[in-house]
Amino acid sequence: MKNNYRRTIWVLLLLVACLFFVFTQNMLAANNMERSSFSFQQEVSGKVTDTDGLPISGVLVSLKNTTSGTLTSLNGTYHLIAPEDGILVFSFLGFKTVEIPINYKTEINVHLEEVVSILDEVQINAGYYNTTRRERTGNISRVTGAEIELQPVVSPLQALQGRMAGVEINTGGVNPGTASTIRIRGVNSLREEGNYPLYIIDGVPINSTPIETNSIIGFAGMDPLNNLNVSNIESIEVLKDADATAIYGSRGANGVILITTKTGKTLGTGLEARIYTGVSTMPNRLKLMNTKDYLNVRRKAFENDGEEPDEYNAYDLVLWDQDRYTDWQDLLFGGTAKTTNANLVFSGGSENTSFRVGGSYFTQGTVYPGDYNYHKITGDMNINHRSKDNKFSINLSLNYGIDFNRLVGNVSLNDAVLILPPNAPAIFNTDGSLNWEEWGAANLDNPYKGFFNTTNTESNNLISNLGVSYQIFSGLKFKTTLGYTNYNSEELFMLPSRSYNPGDNVTNQSTHLSSNRNSWIMEPQFIYKTKLNKLHIDALIGATLQENTQFQQQFQAVGYASESLIGNIAAAKNIINAKRSEAEYRYSALFSRLGINWNRKYYINLTGRRDGSSRFGPNNRFANFGAVGAAWIFSEEPWIEKLEPFLSFGKFRGSYGTTGNDQIGDYGYLDAYEATVGPGGLYPTALANPDYSWEINKKLEVGIELGFIDDKIRLSLSRYRNRSSNQLVGYSLPYTTGFNSVQANLNATVQNSGWELEATSFNINTDDFKWQTSFNISFPKNELLSYPNIEQSSYANTYRVGHPLNISLLYEYTGLDPETGFYTVRDVNEDGSFDYQDRIIIQDQNKEFYGGINNTFSYNNISLQFLFEFVKQEGRIDLFDAGSPYNLFERDLTTPEEEDGFQTISQSYDAYEGFSYVLDTNFLKRDASFVRLKTLSVSYSLPQKLTKVVKLKEGKIFLQGQNLLTLTSYQGLDPDLPNSTSGFRNLRTISAGLQINL
Amino acid sequence: MKLNIIQRIGMIIFLAASLISCEDFVEVETPNDKLIRTQVFEDDATAKSAMVGIYNQLRLAAFSNGSRSSVTLLSGLSADNIRNINTTNFTRMEFEQNELLPNNPNNLDIWSSAYNMIYMTNSLLEGLENSEKITAELKTHMEGEARFVRAFTYFYLVNLYGDVPLVLTADYSVNELISRNTETEIYEQIIYDLNESTNLLSADYPNGERTIVNKYASTALLARVYLYLEDYEKAEELSNQVILANSTYEILDNLDEVFLANSKEAIWQISPIGSGGQVSHTNEGSLFIIDPIFSFLASIQLQDEFVNSFTDQDKRFTDWVGYHPGKDAFFAYKYKIGNSSEFPIKEYSMVLRLAEQYLIRAEARAKQGQISEAIDDIDIIRGRAGLELLADIHPTITQEELLNEILEERRKELFAEWGHRWLDLKRTGKATEILGENNAFWENTDVLYPIPSEERMKNPNLSQNNGY
Repeated sequence: MKNNYRRTIWVLLLLVACLFFVFTQNMLAANNMERSSFSFQQEVSGKVTDTDGLPISGVLVSLKNTTSGTLTSLNGTYHLIAPEDGILVFSFLGFKTVEIPINYKTEINVHLEEVVSILDEVQINAGYYNTTRRERTGNISRVTGAEIELQPVVSPLQALQGRMAGVEINTGGVNPGTASTIRIRGVNSLREEGNYPLYIIDGVPINSTPIETNSIIGFAGMDPLNNLNVSNIESIEVLKDADATAIYGSRGANGVILITTKTGKTLGTGLEARIYTGVSTMPNRLKLMNTKDYLNVRRKAFENDGEEPDEYNAYDLVLWDQDRYTDWQDLLFGGTAKTTNANLVFSGGSENTSFRVGGSYFTQGTVYPGDYNYHKITGDMNINHRSKDNKFSINLSLNYGIDFNRLVGNVSLNDAVLILPPNAPAIFNTDGSLNWEEWGAANLDNPYKGFFNTTNTESNNLISNLGVSYQIFSGLKFKTTLGYTNYNSEELFMLPSRSYNPGDNVTNQSTHLSSNRNSWIMEPQFIYKTKLNKLHIDALIGATLQENTQFQQQFQAVGYASESLIGNIAAAKNIINAKRSEAEYRYSALFSRLGINWNRKYYINLTGRRDGSSRFGPNNRFANFGAVGAAWIFSEEPWIEKLEPFLSFGKFRGSYGTTGNDQIGDYGYLDAYEATVGPGGLYPTALANPDYSWEINKKLEVGIELGFIDDKIRLSLSRYRNRSSNQLVGYSLPYTTGFNSVQANLNATVQNSGWELEATSFNINTDDFKWQTSFNISFPKNELLSYPNIEQSSYANTYRVGHPLNISLLYEYTGLDPETGFYTVRDVNEDGSFDYQDRIIIQDQNKEFYGGINNTFSYNNISLQFLFEFVKQEGRIDLFDAGSPYNLFERDLTTPEEEDGFQTISQSYDAYEGFSYVLDTNFLKRDASFVRLKTLSVSYSLPQKLTKVVKLKEGKIFLQGQNLLTLTSYQGLDPDLPNSTSGFRNLRTISAGLQINL
Repeated sequence: MKLNIIQRIGMIIFLAASLISCEDFVEVETPNDKLIRTQVFEDDATAKSAMVGIYNQLRLAAFSNGSRSSVTLLSGLSADNIRNINTTNFTRMEFEQNELLPNNPNNLDIWSSAYNMIYMTNSLLEGLENSEKITAELKTHMEGEARFVRAFTYFYLVNLYGDVPLVLTADYSVNELISRNTETEIYEQIIYDLNESTNLLSADYPNGERTIVNKYASTALLARVYLYLEDYEKAEELSNQVILANSTYEILDNLDEVFLANSKEAIWQISPIGSGGQVSHTNEGSLFIIDPIFSFLASIQLQDEFVNSFTDQDKRFTDWVGYHPGKDAFFAYKYKIGNSSEFPIKEYSMVLRLAEQYLIRAEARAKQGQISEAIDDIDIIRGRAGLELLADIHPTITQEELLNEILEERRKELFAEWGHRWLDLKRTGKATEILGENNAFWENTDVLYPIPSEERMKNPNLSQNNGY
């Protein structure tokens, strides 16, 4: 009781203090007002310019709450008499109105920002320059930080799924840290490793190749953007067409992803703190057979085969418990992964200087068994300063992140376990060790062999950028950026002997891997803006010098005496397989842009770049790239203005140009020797071609952008066609040359074409209630147009001319053999064997179309946002190998065998053969289209009455859900992985959090 | 505004100038995990490494590694000593049944790995030739070693395929459309290379490691070449030179010691170290030995007819033939270690050994009518095997009987080694007689393997062997 009483007193005191504070604030304000009526008059003069420093004439400069005022002269100057504590209001059509208190100053210079319509408000980052939705001639998609910052993801790219037209994101899996695959308008290069887009963070290019690891995510690698703080992202822009990407020259072929981090903006200081926590689970299960049904099927197999089950061919029937049931899916991914994110930002600024300092902590677990998790700590800082006359500005941004990823090492925790017989023995003994005995009795290895292997990966990443700009004279600006990045990761992969069957005699081992990536870049630029009557000219010329160095080092240490010593290499018996590779990449370029427009109606944008790259052969070091883009805002034409307000905006735009792909590996042209696997040796590993050079991507695009009903509905439709040629592939050679190919640029062409539609609609826009819908859809088409002599190349069984790159070559399913009841496939050339010559069915594995619909509602303090992602595609399904000792999909066992379309239940070799052939046929084709509620978030802003009481600027509670619902007819675990029945890469996550601003 | 124009021009000049300087900027140094070929041969240490690389790669190259695509296995299958346990491995069955198809992938493995080895030797020889910085002594030695490896590789190519392209440069534009040279031209080159290498090499083994080629290895291979070319005088003379080097080589009494690393009987061996140091067993060991427990992994066994040809007291049967009761299969057990990661390495893969030199000299002498000398030589081999000596039991043997006896001893002595039996049957013209007996599909043209079809697709100038 006493305590409660005391608490009440405290609360009351606090309330009184608040009231007192509010009261005094009001008093002060009242005092101020009173004083103004007694104030003295003084002279004020100054100059009004636009953001480019060009003077604006005719600006109305008025004194607030009075009728007195003046207009600026031709050179933008004004002069008037006003009270020393008055407020000046600068207003001019097409520009934002600005209010500035005089505060005894005699000179007040003002920059006015342009504003025409909603289309113009948002500045779009085009890399070296900014544009707006209205004025852009190229195709740029944009996602703001606000849309993604609450998503519980490690890398920001994972949050982009379904949000942009033409941008296809495949997350690498559910293990934290896995690299996502991003394809902007399809696959351009025949080489898998030649399809990464260019990542640029605050103007600094980041190597987009995933980082090698020995952990379970080794296949996809680690995402180089893991160490970024998702909450610190202001916007992500994706450059797609030639107009937008050609300025990136030989690196723009696969599109460019620009990530801009937040800067301090507020006047005064502010503190923002946010925390959320959530749980992720695997949302669904495969419907597999239970023990009884499974064993029935197995018995049936022996019955059909006329064989007697024994301990070798039927351990599940003879040796194992007939009633035991394990839900292997629960064991495998039935866990709960916890996510927590805390974010703290302190920002502030005065008129000329602003800063932002932030820190964050993020942790995520996995749904797999075992103690695996991911931690990330980031720190970022941004300082921005402008000189008083606005001529000089400097901007420094630092992003630093360190993460610790503890994952199971290099062991698949997936497919093999999922389809185990439901009555298989336990994986673990009661003491937690792996159960070898029971499995061994059936002549099997424990499927969790290697389970105790772990990888500990620690990586840290610094991305820093310093930008300096100086206005030399009105219209001409010199700007330079200096960037430095450093990525370092250290990985310890521990393989204790208890992970392995004692009979295998595996000793305690470890594998050590370190990777380092370092780069610096310098980009001096001149920017010139001028206006001649109605002709606006924006010109840019700049140069790039860049150097990347990287190395990777790996070795194995074997024979530790005990598990606790693993990692301490001094205690290892032997160090073997030591490897080190390093690479240096140097790049220089000259780039320029000329953007001209007539009366803000006709636009032409010319961009070009001359590149020199150390990756190109000595005979081909330099290359030129360029593009032309044009736009016509036809809604500005008098004859169409009549249609207003129904048609409020209309623009045609088009672009054509060339970009290159220099992701061709370093030193590919060198006639070099490398170390042999055996110690102390060197040997030539490939034939050298000094003419080796980049791939070229020629991009063509046309688009139309429309705004209806005062821009309440906005549409943007694009049609594109990109042709990627000069493909760097292995030119096939007979082995008499020593090797079977030499890397060379071949006249092979890959075409990506398609339609993209993006639409936004402000359905309801009242003060209380707002509803906005945005929609995007892409219809991509990929085709290998030509490839001379593909039959002789190493791609003979991978690609087919006239078809997409992402295909699978299949046999033709010819039904069940009437005699045996087993699957049959067609032997096309009737040579008695089945090989690639018989695989005549070509299945397109690309998405037919994909997109997303995002809705945002807000009603007073509550806002609701949800994003649906949808995909139309085909997939495959398996798990119907009835008769073999593996579990399979539930099926109606009362249906006579010959009627359900599946082959006779059997364990014979012929049945196995039939099944293994049918796996590569069209028989497995299934629709794998889906609609998924990708994100759903609800937030509630605390009412001001409340926030005032607790002295908060703002307070917000939010609830966020990921992958809550999936509508699909696909039988596999995740239609996002349509070719793998048992694969998955999306978890259902529900998180809740709180944000306060002070 | 005039100034502005000047400024603008100045700006452009500045940028243009900075771009010109960029030409140099994009030159990068080679990283330390790669060495440009010319640099490799500018320094003794790196040049030496290039030769070590060749030795290492011999353990990895398909034709020479003793594993699943090696001459040892595939040519072994083509003859009558060994056979597949698993008859569903069609590509290997094609060798066993002498029904090779031109698209057989194992056949391509032999071809491609052999030409890759030739590329390495050519690249090294070119590097040496153009280098002025390497000490003369090293240059001499390395040239000898590389010429030996090239000749050795061509020896198998010419014996397996007949006419083959003679590639003597690393330049792919030259080799891309090369035609086949005659067997005679190939042998001329082999003899030239081996003579050169005999002159260039010394007689000792550095550090006692018999994995490094020396003068005698070269002589021993040349003795075999002359035997194959039926120049018996030279074959006798050269094998004699090797046999006389009795401080270096001897016939070991204990058969279990013959295949040990650096055994006194070894003239040239390939070390398992080339596979990287994870394992220390020979591929022959892991391929041929049938593990008592993991017998399901076994793929090769000895043919019964061959096993039956041994007499019971033959030590080569008791010591070099293993038996797996579960499989009821005999297997080659010359190498005793099938799986090991223990160091130091106990066994090396044998390529050339002294016993073969005695057999060469015996045959060369028999062919020249020196019957009793030939009997002495063959008795060295029989005696070591614990058999009665010909000199005791059959001193009046005729030349023809003796030659048959030599062929039989070669079979028993050299089985499961480098396809000796296949090459012996082929060169003595007995392939049809012996192999055709049990094979209804046998054709005389089967003595040569087909030129791989993939190779002919890429190079239209390559003709095919008869019968394919």
